[in-house]
Amino acid sequence: MDPLILSRMQFAANISFHILFPTITIALGWVLLFFKIRYNATSDTAWMRAYFTWVKVFALSFAMGVVSGVTMSFQFGTNWPGYMEKVGNIAGPLLAYEVLTAFFLEAVFLGIMLFGFRRVSNKVHTAATVLVAFGTTMSAFWILALNSWMQTPVGFEIRDGVVHATSWWAVVFNPSFPYRLVHMLLASGLTVSFLIAGLSALRWLVGDRSESMWKALRTGTFLGAILIPIQIFAGDQHGLNTLEHQPQKIAAMEANWETRAHVPLVLFGWPDEAARTNHFEVTIPDGASLILRHSPDGVVPGLNDYVGNHPPVLPLFWGFRIMVGVGVMMLLVSWTATWWLWRRQTLPRPLALLMVPMAFSGWVATLAGWYVTEIGRQPWLVTGVLKTADAVGPVAGSHVAFTLAVYLALYTTLLIAYLATLTHLALKAAKEGDKSPLPAVLDKPAAQPLAGG
Amino acid sequence: MTLDWPTLLPLIFAGLMGLAILIYVVLDGFDLGIGILFSLADDKEQDTMIAAIGPFWDANETWLVLAVGLLLVAFPMAHGVILTALYLPVFVLLVGLILRGVAFDFRAKVPTHRKHRWNRIFFIGSLTASLAQGYMLGVYVLGLQTGMAAMAFGVLVAFCLAAAYAAMGAAWLIYKTEGPLQTKAVLWLRAALVLTALGMAAVSIATPLASPRIFDKWFVLPELLWLSPLPILSGILFLWLWWQTFHLPKPGDRHAALPFVTLAAIFVLGFAGLAWSFYPFVVPERLTIWQAASAPEALGIILVGVAFVLPVILGYSVYAYRVFGGKADDLRYD
Repeated sequence: MDPLILSRMQFAANISFHILFPTITIALGWVLLFFKIRYNATSDTAWMRAYFTWVKVFALSFAMGVVSGVTMSFQFGTNWPGYMEKVGNIAGPLLAYEVLTAFFLEAVFLGIMLFGFRRVSNKVHTAATVLVAFGTTMSAFWILALNSWMQTPVGFEIRDGVVHATSWWAVVFNPSFPYRLVHMLLASGLTVSFLIAGLSALRWLVGDRSESMWKALRTGTFLGAILIPIQIFAGDQHGLNTLEHQPQKIAAMEANWETRAHVPLVLFGWPDEAARTNHFEVTIPDGASLILRHSPDGVVPGLNDYVGNHPPVLPLFWGFRIMVGVGVMMLLVSWTATWWLWRRQTLPRPLALLMVPMAFSGWVATLAGWYVTEIGRQPWLVTGVLKTADAVGPVAGSHVAFTLAVYLALYTTLLIAYLATLTHLALKAAKEGDKSPLPAVLDKPAAQPLAGG
Repeated sequence: MTLDWPTLLPLIFAGLMGLAILIYVVLDGFDLGIGILFSLADDKEQDTMIAAIGPFWDANETWLVLAVGLLLVAFPMAHGVILTALYLPVFVLLVGLILRGVAFDFRAKVPTHRKHRWNRIFFIGSLTASLAQGYMLGVYVLGLQTGMAAMAFGVLVAFCLAAAYAAMGAAWLIYKTEGPLQTKAVLWLRAALVLTALGMAAVSIATPLASPRIFDKWFVLPELLWLSPLPILSGILFLWLWWQTFHLPKPGDRHAALPFVTLAAIFVLGFAGLAWSFYPFVVPERLTIWQAASAPEALGIILVGVAFVLPVILGYSVYAYRVFGGKADDLRYD
């Protein structure tokens, strides 16, 4: 088979698996800090119980993120040597700064955050939690700077066929970066909100009425309800930014074949690239012109302007609709649940049953969104600078096929184990409720060595 | 050689990369080694062994990311050449690291009856990762040759490195544990030490024979004279440590950290020998560090970050090791 398509599949499999876990840890770090701060302020041990339930999820997610991240750092070289050869002078420093300012910070202080509770003072432990949360966010900062630069590259020149930076400020704060960063951080927040709300709803369904369950349930639900309207606004802004800088991506997302005014919004349909039309389409007249140009006779770019130079239409069209659909679901569920928790201090059973599968709605939306933006960059790896096909390495297709098969099997197994363990942890927490042994909370370091038990 | 930035920067980055690899090999060496020794321990001992590395392994593995990262950012040409040539061993290494990394966490969180499964995965992952690293080192030393001889040499180095890691793991256990497990670890160290010494000797003899260029770098005067302390000192340290294993653990737990420090010193000596053999190549016989380096501007901007951040990283790493100093107790989240 073709090593190019196999390598692309392998990288997609890898990065799809990887992004699931940072999406959780970026925001969960801050939520854990919130639990700790609430505990420090109120001395209510239920906050600490919530912390200890969720810190286990954090530890597991972090480990999954680390091992799949290490894999990715190697795959740049094993499968895409042309990438670093061409743009290494830009990508290199950005990746190096990620490792130096973020990766080490989180990895070192994670140990103290997870296992140091009785070895350092409460203050130092809180500080370690801050540093881990800060590290995960910094990590997102650098990676999204690089990803955004690949989408909308500026601040460089090409000498002897190799890219050289001319302005680092322009490279990092490239046109799509602020939008992408905000969109991704909010996505992480929403993923964690719904994960916490969903697993807490599962605890509620099996009869857990403990204070720590309520605290986690409310935190997740309220946070989701606050973040989702902000995300809808931020996503819209990101879309307008994409229209300005990568119009071919928008044309594919909207499956708009001709540049014209009065473009309808295609709600559903089946884009057919060969016939350059949409089958079975359901449309709102002037919808796309209104959304993208705020005027019914606004001109929306069509795919006819980018023949041979635009991304595949079908995955973008559907990826975008899945993401938006999940977002709407999130809005409905979190606002309904908030109303119930606020006014009735309880949940109707059907709503709780819906919230459990919604625990992973953030994953679905995040993946769908990333597929839109990454497939939307094709056929370029770095827009206008490097084609994906020119970066692939000389490795034999059979080797890539073999490793791809093993990665897929491994990732599937690990994902099943991860989900099973999360469920197990939630059910165990539900069973223990407020009777779980109280953590040894001290405001000063315990005498060492401490006996376990 | 003129001392200007385009000459110096690649040299500095080669040094930094070497430092990151050395720190990685010493630090992740002991936790991979404990994974290898995992199969020899019973349930209770396994929990203690995990407790001895639990707070550290994440940060230890980050040094590998830094090393590969530096290779990637400072020597992009070499990064592509090396990693495409080592495609399958790298893959085996990654699968090993993935398995052991997640096994750490799963074993503590799954229902008790599944714990055994993750213990076994932890052992298998650690062993595979160590073997893969050794194999890659062996093939790399020979300039990424293919063919039966290079593969055989790779296999030899693979077992040598796995034994060396096991020795590191045992030495770390002597430092971090007490009682029967500590006594056991002394026996493990003795056995692993013999294998390590044999492996290192074999590699030292085979390398110059396999590569005429390396032979010429070592066996000429006066270089031979001032290089000779490397093998001689290593030999003395090996013998002395081996003799120590008949006296450890000592009353009052004296010298418990000594085996680890001695092994780390042996690693440094072996590493210095390898570095001398490679210099000035980053891909042996093909690319020198100057041919493979990124643009000086890009290296400069990274160096600024490294100069500020690396000391801080070292500082808080030392702090984290101090927080978890002393004998390992049960790992708990509170």
